Amino acid sequence: MPSSRQLPYLGFGLGLRVDHYESLIDEPGKVEWLEIVSENYLVPGGRPLRWLERFRERFPLVMHGVSMSIGGTDPLDMGYLGQLAALAKRVEPAWISDHLCWTGVQGVNLHDLMPLPYTEEALRHVVDRVRRVQDTLGRRILLENVSSYISFAQSQLTEWEFLAAVAERADCLILLDINNVHVSAHNHGFSALDYLDGLPAARVQQFHLAGHEHGGELLIDTHDAPVVDAVWHLYVEAVRRFGRVSTMIERDDHIPPLAELLAELEHARALADALMQQAA
Amino acid sequence: MSDLRTMQLQLAEAMLAGSLPAQGSLRGDDKANEASRLAVYQQGYRIRLREALATEFPGLALLAGRRFLPLLDDYVTAQPSTHFTIRWHGEGLARFLEHASPWCEQPELGEMAQLDWAISTAFDAADHDTVNAGDLVGVAPEAWAGLRLHPLPHARLLRCSCNIDAFRRAADRGGPRPRLRRWRQARHLLVWRPALDVHYRQVASGELAPLRGALDGDTFAHLCERLAERHGTAALPRMAALLAQWLDEGLIGRLTLPGEAAM
Repeated sequence: MPSSRQLPYLGFGLGLRVDHYESLIDEPGKVEWLEIVSENYLVPGGRPLRWLERFRERFPLVMHGVSMSIGGTDPLDMGYLGQLAALAKRVEPAWISDHLCWTGVQGVNLHDLMPLPYTEEALRHVVDRVRRVQDTLGRRILLENVSSYISFAQSQLTEWEFLAAVAERADCLILLDINNVHVSAHNHGFSALDYLDGLPAARVQQFHLAGHEHGGELLIDTHDAPVVDAVWHLYVEAVRRFGRVSTMIERDDHIPPLAELLAELEHARALADALMQQAA
Repeated sequence: MSDLRTMQLQLAEAMLAGSLPAQGSLRGDDKANEASRLAVYQQGYRIRLREALATEFPGLALLAGRRFLPLLDDYVTAQPSTHFTIRWHGEGLARFLEHASPWCEQPELGEMAQLDWAISTAFDAADHDTVNAGDLVGVAPEAWAGLRLHPLPHARLLRCSCNIDAFRRAADRGGPRPRLRRWRQARHLLVWRPALDVHYRQVASGELAPLRGALDGDTFAHLCERLAERHGTAALPRMAALLAQWLDEGLIGRLTLPGEAAM
């Protein structure tokens, strides 16, 4: 296990959702930090930014985006990156993350996290764009593994080889979504443990924990349900390999009462604490 | 063109068309073939846009009823999303409904979409201070003729031929669907956000001309002239009453005097 992280360890947090604004201010429980969806606050003013200011005073924040399209082949959207940089100046997040994917082409936005073919060409392309984004933002970014349902005949690398190579060559960090590893492992028939074993431990900066649905023979990453046992098991394996990593529950839909997510967060904390005590 | 770009263009085209990209580019297996794997994305695209638009257009959802989903599907098919923020795909919906058949046959749909969108964009528009009565104390009597009252920059004046505001109000309150009432003469709605809450109301017929004037940047004297066309000698007290109402509602964002910067 790595002894230190390159960015601060924040503990156990939640993805900030409108449904929990009031309760997180009134009774935050043991929530130690919050992840905001950057796009929700790329607005000129009004209530969203007022709330953000209140949370910024109370919690460490990190920014998580869905629109960077780091694997896209349209030019990088410098307008978007400019807005992101301005928001970062306002929020002073511990870090900024997005996804290892593409989200559109020729000006059309597909509003989905589309997987890449794992080829040398795609690798060179992504590494170059990550470097340019990091130069623009003046900081290293985290890239998250996405759930996927399709794969490409021309792929030459496994997903984890590709993710590891991007992180090493571009000198960026990894946001590891444990649920996404589980979903993609099921959908494509690879070993989730091989995936974990293939990642550079010192670059894993954050974990996402989430739920999914069954869609026929495939698992569908809905992030709208509790974390399932298989994902908790994989989380334990991830903590065993990567040590204490800032961890959060990410619920995007069917948002339950805050107490339900706090209970999941406590479970994550208990699993990690037990493992770290064993290792000590 | 790189292989990566070619793949992305083909895949995006297949996603929007509901077809498959070039044969052999995607892998299928015993668990699911290529088509059913790609269908997850194809369905997801439509579902996500539908959900985002439904959130932005609650009045339209109530007004259109069972036709709301077909209406959104038509729009999503006709107009792919081009903005990185999904809600901004709603920007073109009113215009689409005004021009695309069969929706254009019901003008209230386009009007409703305009009101919903004006409310949506006012919600997180740039914050502005508003002018109050105290700010006018320093205006010299001789300067009033050239004074300009600028409404908040995000304020919108919308023309409507029926009671679309009742639909939006009912949608916000979770109330029953109102009866659609068409006006004999078009009316106007004003949308603005004085602090954090978005307001909207009907514009009285006598208020319309001076309000348009204020939005166009006319001087106070010109606003009074517009009122005089209708109210004659009663124009000045009428304008004073309107000014008091606008200040009280937090509609005026700034004042300017000839040759001066905004107050």
